Amino acid sequence: MIHLEALGRVVATERMPNTPHEFHFWTAIDSPVGIGTIVLVEGAQPVDGQIPRIYGIIVEGFSYTDLQSPLHDVLGHDGSPAQAGFASTERTEIRLYTAAVLRQIPEEPLQPVPMGRVFLAGEEDVQVALRMDGYLRDGAHTGIPIGVYRAGGTDAVIYLDADFLLGPEAAHLNITGVSGLATKTSAVEWLLASLFTHFPEDKGSIAAVCFNVKGPDLCYLDQPGRIEGTDETLYEKLGVVPKPFERVEYFAPYTAKGLSLNTFRNNEALLDNVTPLSWGLREVLQFAEVLLNKDDIDAKADALIDFIKENVVDKEFSDPVLQKKHTVQSFADLDAWFRDVLQGMERKDGDSWRTHHVATIRKVRNRLSNISTRCAGLVTDSGAVSDLPFGSFADRTVYVVDVANLEEDAQDLIFARIVSKLREHLERRDLGVKHLVVFVDELNKYAPGDGADTYVRKMLLDIAERGRYLGLVLFGAQQFRSQVHRRVVGNSGTALFGRMDPDELSTPGYAVLSPATRTKLATLEKGQLMVRHPHFTQPIFVRFPRPAVMQGREGAERYPQSNEASIESAVLRSLRPLDPSLTLAWVQDITALYTEQEVLRARNATLLARPADVKAYFSSQFRKIIPAQPAPRPLATSVRSAPENDPYGF
Amino acid sequence: MLVSGSGRDAVGQSALRLLMQRLPGVSAIDGQASTELPVLSDPPVLRSAQLVEGSVLRAIKVQAAPADIQSGFGAFLDGAQRVQIMGHYAGIPIVYGTASAAIRIRLNRRMATWGHQPPRVQRKFFLPLRYLPALGDVASFGGVTGLEIVDTSKPDRAGAFPSLHPTALLERAMRAVDDMREQLEHQLAEAWCAVGEAPLFMDGGISGNPRVASSACAIGVVKSHRTLFVEDDALRTVFGLARGERSSVFRVSPRSRSSVISWYLRVREARGHDAMWGLVRVEAAECDRPAERAEDISRWVMAEMSPLSLPDGRWDKMAYGVRDCEEFLRAIS
Repeated sequence: MIHLEALGRVVATERMPNTPHEFHFWTAIDSPVGIGTIVLVEGAQPVDGQIPRIYGIIVEGFSYTDLQSPLHDVLGHDGSPAQAGFASTERTEIRLYTAAVLRQIPEEPLQPVPMGRVFLAGEEDVQVALRMDGYLRDGAHTGIPIGVYRAGGTDAVIYLDADFLLGPEAAHLNITGVSGLATKTSAVEWLLASLFTHFPEDKGSIAAVCFNVKGPDLCYLDQPGRIEGTDETLYEKLGVVPKPFERVEYFAPYTAKGLSLNTFRNNEALLDNVTPLSWGLREVLQFAEVLLNKDDIDAKADALIDFIKENVVDKEFSDPVLQKKHTVQSFADLDAWFRDVLQGMERKDGDSWRTHHVATIRKVRNRLSNISTRCAGLVTDSGAVSDLPFGSFADRTVYVVDVANLEEDAQDLIFARIVSKLREHLERRDLGVKHLVVFVDELNKYAPGDGADTYVRKMLLDIAERGRYLGLVLFGAQQFRSQVHRRVVGNSGTALFGRMDPDELSTPGYAVLSPATRTKLATLEKGQLMVRHPHFTQPIFVRFPRPAVMQGREGAERYPQSNEASIESAVLRSLRPLDPSLTLAWVQDITALYTEQEVLRARNATLLARPADVKAYFSSQFRKIIPAQPAPRPLATSVRSAPENDPYGF
Repeated sequence: MLVSGSGRDAVGQSALRLLMQRLPGVSAIDGQASTELPVLSDPPVLRSAQLVEGSVLRAIKVQAAPADIQSGFGAFLDGAQRVQIMGHYAGIPIVYGTASAAIRIRLNRRMATWGHQPPRVQRKFFLPLRYLPALGDVASFGGVTGLEIVDTSKPDRAGAFPSLHPTALLERAMRAVDDMREQLEHQLAEAWCAVGEAPLFMDGGISGNPRVASSACAIGVVKSHRTLFVEDDALRTVFGLARGERSSVFRVSPRSRSSVISWYLRVREARGHDAMWGLVRVEAAECDRPAERAEDISRWVMAEMSPLSLPDGRWDKMAYGVRDCEEFLRAIS
């Protein structure tokens, strides 16, 4: 409500007039207002029988005295700054602010802001000013707390409208900020916690898939973090319980050697909710174009790949040129098939097979076979598949896919396949949840404004432009928003800005902000954000609490990453979360007679099946080997003794 | 004291309309048109004064106070006046005068308006009723418009009526406005002295009001020197004062005014300027130890010269607090 004491008065001159979208006012020197403060103007004259009320946010501030020239001050103090401090009187000084109009009531007729008294906006005023009153009504509450607006003793919760954050009205969120100030990742962690708490039940279920593209930041979302008293106050105000996420599932491929998971979260103590991510030929071939560049995929190669997808993979394939029937289910099978085709062509001394030239066949073989090498750890020769639980996604669950340590090709493949699968399932309404948030950091890299038109960028554009109709929402983050594709950021209904790099702020995209707002953005503290949302006619500054999850650096220290040890140790580490009674001696005993590949295959199968009796299942994965009988000792034959006097041994 | 000849307010405009109804021959002057006003000033004179400090007027160095010693003044008083010729009736000027006065106090080194007594603003018409057709009931004019009419055609002490010359009539009106401003200043100064707070820095002399002239709370600082209270060698001594030097204290006892002690003080170096540059005359109530009093007050006045009161043309003598008063009065009147 209106504070009783006015803190300022609207002023306007011919040179500095007020308009329907901007006004000026002065305050006392010690007034508790600053850039970003929301104020309320109460007009003096009624319009259509109603006293106009204008809500504005301060976007610029000026201070000056009656000094006409700096030289006058120098003269007044005999050129000595030290003497200036002892002047009996301070010069008359003004604090003059410019505010951008947030809302006028009545909204019509839209008139220039009248002269009037200026008040600090209270909590209810803030709701009206930002049009939050429209979506915070009883029975139609779709507000998601994003933070607290603070100014001059006013603490007001700022809500985003779920309909405009997750669709269907608008959707997507974009976060910009410099690295290392715990802004982007922290903001997303906090917002997901708020979203999971406040997302209206009647709007259905919601889950999140987060791609961890760098460092260990997202690797400890289920572990409690340290929060301070001020954060607890914020949590209470925002109606969120400060605790880590209850349901988090991690997915990471193996390292190239295949012994341990390629993630910061491969400490044995945390492996119980970490699932290996491994794909076979079938999964990869659908997205082969992600890994093949334009030089690779000419029309001829494309035709051969299509032929293989349509006629060879997962089918019994026979051909006169082949020496045997092939059922291709893995990269190893595919390589055998290629070998048979090429040998058959050599035997016939032919240049082409089924219209495909031998050079094209060799090229496609080379490129496809190469995939399992380039994406080792993710792509298996054997065809074993361990994947996200498409179709059984659970409400209020975070699925973290750790691609931080992977090569770019593998990252691209993971992005492309997972997002495509999510989209397919959401289209069919059988993902398991109705709304899904996909968080991708480093959009500079994955959806750049310039450079080649990659499959991943096309896919991100597709989410940004059409995802909201499916319930697929992109939460993107980057350091330099100006370098991200315009259609990706342009389709983000909501934008958050943490502390910004001054160079970035000098780009044209920020020209709409006042110089003072840009300066504030360049100096924001940790935990402060500027929020743009479709309901807000001007950006708003808010504070959000530190996420109640363990931060990446602390987690990495407390749960150090496991080194790749022996294969037996790796198997033990993987399986012990399923059965704590396993011992290294038992693993060594079971695996002693088998090759490394066989051992890893057995481990992967066990992890995928998660059987009740881990020992029995793991053991059953090995082929029977009858231990070799020791060769009978040859019968001893008598050695003729040579006559002592026979030098030739006869 | 701020003297201005421009500007026009809504009250004056509506009163002029009523006046034109009662005096159909009045021709209004366009508000934007500039009107040259005569400069009122007394003739420059030298007048001897009785020395209070020593037997010969001499230059005395004001002891520099430590830099962190602030001025003892707690407030500033100044008045302003504005004269507008709003019309003519057969060449007779229709004068509209505004006078105002305010005390601005200093709180934490910042200026604010004194809360005990609000600033005074008075507006009146100044008309030579003797030379104008009958206006009817003059009192009722004031009741309708809220503006009093002051008759500027009354005979002087010698019983002479003013000339019909427009300039003579205008000068009479201007002196009346001047008196009105002085009265307002005295009212506020009396109120201040009655409360007895910190010393008040008055722009101009204090001898015009007996209560103020006898109060230790009021200090007058005179910037204009149409009358110099020194002669012969004393005059040379005063003109030779260096920055930070004061003259010996003397007594000023003008006719029809109260007796006060006074001294000259050079607040800015005059080298390269005229002899009056940075020269002020301070007036204070009679006291037992005039030399010590002059020493203290001189130090305070010197301290008030910073910050500069530029861009005012009288910045060499004007205290910043006085300029603040003038700016304040300009804003409200």
